Amino acid sequence: MISKQVETGNFFILQSGRDSPASAVASNPSPPIRRILLVDCDAFYVQVARQVDPEGAGRAPLLIVGGSASGRGVVTSASYEARKHGVHSAMPTAHALRLCPQATVVPVPRDACVGKSREIREALVELAPAVQAASIDEFYLDLTGTERLFHREPLEATAHRIRTEVLQRTGISVSIGGATRRLLAKLATSRAKPAGVHVVPPGSEEAFMATLRLGEIPGVGPALLALLEARGVVTVRDALAVQPEWLRRWLGERRGDWLHGRIRGIDTSEVDPDEERKSISTERTFRSDIADDEELERRLLRMVGSVGTTLRKSGMKARTVTVKLRDPSFRTRQHSRTVPGVLESDAGIHAVARSLLAGLRAEDAGSVRLLGVGLSGLQEDAVEQLGLFGGTTEVESERDRTLSRVVDGIRARFGEDSVRPGRLMGERSPRTDEDDG
Amino acid sequence: MNFTITRQNLHAGLAAVSASIPSKTTLPVLSNILFEARDDSVWMNGTDLDVAVRIKVPADVKEAGSLTAPGKKLQEITRELPDAPVEVATRGDQIELSCGRSRFKLNGLPADEFPTLPSISFDDAWTVKGKDLHSLIHHTSFAVSTEESRPILNGVLWELRDGAMRMVATNGHRLARMSIPAQSSDVPSADFIVPPAALQQVQRLFKDDDTLEVSRDGNHLGFRSGSAEIFTRLIEGTYPNYEQVIPKDNDKKAIVSKKLLESAVRRMAVVASDQTHRIRLTFEDGRVHLSVLTPDLGEGHDELELDYAGEALEIGFNANYLLEVLKYMPTEEVCIAFKAPERAATIEPVASGGDAMDLLCLVMPLRLLD
Repeated sequence: MISKQVETGNFFILQSGRDSPASAVASNPSPPIRRILLVDCDAFYVQVARQVDPEGAGRAPLLIVGGSASGRGVVTSASYEARKHGVHSAMPTAHALRLCPQATVVPVPRDACVGKSREIREALVELAPAVQAASIDEFYLDLTGTERLFHREPLEATAHRIRTEVLQRTGISVSIGGATRRLLAKLATSRAKPAGVHVVPPGSEEAFMATLRLGEIPGVGPALLALLEARGVVTVRDALAVQPEWLRRWLGERRGDWLHGRIRGIDTSEVDPDEERKSISTERTFRSDIADDEELERRLLRMVGSVGTTLRKSGMKARTVTVKLRDPSFRTRQHSRTVPGVLESDAGIHAVARSLLAGLRAEDAGSVRLLGVGLSGLQEDAVEQLGLFGGTTEVESERDRTLSRVVDGIRARFGEDSVRPGRLMGERSPRTDEDDG
Repeated sequence: MNFTITRQNLHAGLAAVSASIPSKTTLPVLSNILFEARDDSVWMNGTDLDVAVRIKVPADVKEAGSLTAPGKKLQEITRELPDAPVEVATRGDQIELSCGRSRFKLNGLPADEFPTLPSISFDDAWTVKGKDLHSLIHHTSFAVSTEESRPILNGVLWELRDGAMRMVATNGHRLARMSIPAQSSDVPSADFIVPPAALQQVQRLFKDDDTLEVSRDGNHLGFRSGSAEIFTRLIEGTYPNYEQVIPKDNDKKAIVSKKLLESAVRRMAVVASDQTHRIRLTFEDGRVHLSVLTPDLGEGHDELELDYAGEALEIGFNANYLLEVLKYMPTEEVCIAFKAPERAATIEPVASGGDAMDLLCLVMPLRLLD
């Protein structure tokens, strides 16, 4: 059916290496076939923990990173050996230790991880023209247009070469997925893991997709799965056979079209090295659950200071504040608010975050296991809405902004703990009394 | 409790009260309406703890008493009943309705579980005409803040003075102020900061020709007329000094058709940024250019003729603020006045004939950085 359309020059052409019908009818007769790789570190935190502590973590085959031996916190990453016992990331460490009692638990070596991630990125920048860090341990590379440069080396061979190079230079083992689109490269990576390479050749995208389960596709969650399963659609292969009209009827026009493209591996997103930061957030799992409102407010104040500093360091302003709570039964609730102007001071962020926390506590005042604060709607050159009563928003005055900048300056010179809000006076430094899980 | 009531009266009462019932609540009794039958009428009460509504409807009371019962269900049942007398009775905590051959029993809750409504004496009440109050609420309450971070701005400031009353609302970016000569005199001055939800109930339950009694007791305000009463909690605190931010020296004045300006701004807003809604207005001799430029989206330009003779001025606005203010302007033409691009602009109705209205809206501009 599709090949016939290609021959007749029908508008609805779907051809490998082309991302949309529109690009297929563009004046350029054959746009270059894209060559995208996703470099994904194998159990990144585990590898870094072993490098940091070769005598301890380095000698423990059953290794859990994140949380504490007493069982608080959650698993950030686990060694492949520990994973065989059913341990996976985001699982409470206590649960992980029940599954795998012999495992060694070490805290997340945060600073070392950030440094190692930077090292890997620096290595990749020398190997590919466009590198985008998707997270601390995932990097997209776009090698489109490098065919001649690499003497027509097949993408798979390039991937192997990059894998070896990264391992030699950083000591970190990575897995690499390759394809004509970002989404497919990501899905191919799960086939490559651990320590391997998997490339989906141009033209075989749909065949590759047909081997997947629907739940493996990013963006297809439990609710959508249940909805499709009720209509007898369980695998990607099932879904590929469904007419787009039916998907639209079941899911609505937008979601239907989205799924129709998604199951064919269609993804037009670019590898963008300059992609802007979309949010700034921090969260903490407490060593022991907290039910006291005042204590939670103090923790919140401290976390606001942390995201506020990051925000100002990056020269951004934020429009939306989110506060997240997780209770001991792992139920997570969050509230967000977008302010009419922009926020950049700790006082402004705190005013919004505090009322969000109060709202969450009003719904349920039980014990809290984890608290998180996030800033989003980040803008660099924010358009300033002038305010009637001074300041550009209701919650933040010019004085608040100046104060935050001055405090940042003092901290930069004399250290993090040189200036603190009065409510946090006499407390120990955040890192010593909290679990980082 | 046992009373007989016409279907129309029961339905009218329930409809009036159930709008004050919260749709979601953690306190089950708040989903209920409290019935109090005595003498020759039934009082129906509903509240969300911030605002309370009480309605009296005539009924033939055979046995006085009280009970709470689910408001929405009763309203739905009553809507479907035939036009015949309805007998309402209680048995324990159940309410029983019979009308023609229809019979219903609904589970209620004892009356003493219902929150006690504030008792406000109307002995020394202010009297206000419904029409005046409605006009003030309509033209100002849209401007209240919905942000919770500065609660004082979540209310409408209502100033009662000898011979005049005024309402003011603002979210810190745009403001609406309206004054009306008050009929009554010899009343003490008073300022209230009233939640808009209460004012909405006032608009809904009282008619233009009603004469309302208004009374305050501590932190509560009560409105009463005929068979309806509304009580509300007042917002505590000091309202910001709004007079100080209203510019007195805005000398660049443009007179423009409200309808034409509204539709031009609305067109520009389509292409404005979803986050800032920024549009740009350039006033020149006899015309205004409207433009919008949004990175990653595109641009738009428009032009209107108007009455403007001041020097050229370029000013940025959040299109939504401008549209909101224009929406509540009661005249065909409006006067927009400026001083400078980073100072508040004022918008006032231009009255044709004698019906001048003391309404003033104020919009703070967006700083144009480029």
